[in-house]
Amino acid sequence: MKNNILIIALVLSLNTHAQELFVVTDPASNVPANSISIRLTQSAFKEKFEAGYNYHMMPELTWGMNKNLMFRTTSFISNRNGKLVTEGTSIFTKWRFYSEDDIQSHFRLAAFGRYSFNNSDIHQEQIETMGHNSGFELGFIATKLVKKLAISTSVSFEQAHDNKPNYKFPVTQGTQATNYTFSIGKLMYPKKYTNYKQTNINLMCELLGQTLNANGKSSLDIVPSVQFILNSQARIDIAYRQELLNSMFRTAPNGVYINFEYTFFSVFK
Amino acid sequence: MKKIKNKITILIAIFMLSNSVIAQVYKADIIATGLTCSMCSNAIKKQLKTIESVDSIATDLNTNTFSVFFKKDQAIVPSILKEKVENAGFFVGSMQLDLDVSYLTSNSTQFINMNTSDLKNKKTVTIQILDKGYVTYKTYKKLEKQFAKVSSYLKQNETDFHFKIINYEK
Repeated sequence: MKNNILIIALVLSLNTHAQELFVVTDPASNVPANSISIRLTQSAFKEKFEAGYNYHMMPELTWGMNKNLMFRTTSFISNRNGKLVTEGTSIFTKWRFYSEDDIQSHFRLAAFGRYSFNNSDIHQEQIETMGHNSGFELGFIATKLVKKLAISTSVSFEQAHDNKPNYKFPVTQGTQATNYTFSIGKLMYPKKYTNYKQTNINLMCELLGQTLNANGKSSLDIVPSVQFILNSQARIDIAYRQELLNSMFRTAPNGVYINFEYTFFSVFK
Repeated sequence: MKKIKNKITILIAIFMLSNSVIAQVYKADIIATGLTCSMCSNAIKKQLKTIESVDSIATDLNTNTFSVFFKKDQAIVPSILKEKVENAGFFVGSMQLDLDVSYLTSNSTQFINMNTSDLKNKKTVTIQILDKGYVTYKTYKKLEKQFAKVSSYLKQNETDFHFKIINYEK
């Protein structure tokens, strides 16, 4: 235990990164076929123009249909307007269409799509179909794993719609965005495996960029995180998101994430 | 005396019968590619466990080697093992099987020996499957050149398996 704490401290101080199961972005790898995973993403972001934090909770269900195709549904619950309410839901799919594997390495490509509904008020220029906007996102991901280091990048197109039934997308704001991400992760512990029960510690760092197509306004965030894999089956992520550059109107760009995930392998034979 | 003789005859008969029936695959050593994390390895192990004929699995997490032990008298087709590894999201980098030679000779259309030495006078062998999807991509590219004249190898049917003998017992 003492060792674990020491390692965590070391890992945090180095501020380096983890493997492929990133906190905010998805790798090009698929989830195992016939597996089901449940995940609870929670975030608390500091309001810029008023006091306090807004809390978002996103329960997720992921299903690996086969080795190349997965589906995920996410619900968006938040207390942004006082009490905890369900604001929307999304369906996400990812298709791994290229894979070049070798001993302890791989290079993979995937395409993904998301469609989201959201009924909350539209309160910022940033477009985010994960919990804020109705709309869709389409993109590509490339991921490279070499031994204990994973590097992943993605580019996507995001289109916002009206947040029906009550909130029209403001006509003065751009409805389309281009997103780009860069993620790096490293397995820090254990140095040598002895069994499946060993806790794995991954350090990650993700860069999340967005440019509004209509006016070129942009933002760039950094998300350092530490991840614990327990019993080779469950995972806990602790991450912090910090705005690095920004020229668009955003209400709460900085905050923390705490995620829990549990995978049921081979649910269907 | 007669009784004992009878018993011995029955025992011998059972022994011979069992010997002719059991053409056993004992173990498969599979090295999976494309992973380094224990969660990924766990996904492969759980997939392999869904095969009914699997008795137990030992794993070396540092090399991603899965030693799959089989129950008695079970027919094992290498493609089911490959399919399970791929279902987990990874690939087979190497697959070796410990089996009775009689298993190979009784399925000789399915298993094609690429060695110059034959299976004569051998009882159990360790073979490595050489087909595409059972070796790393780089190794396959080399083997493709080496076996350029073997039409069945180049066809890459999912139903037949080309192998080389790694080890044997007489």
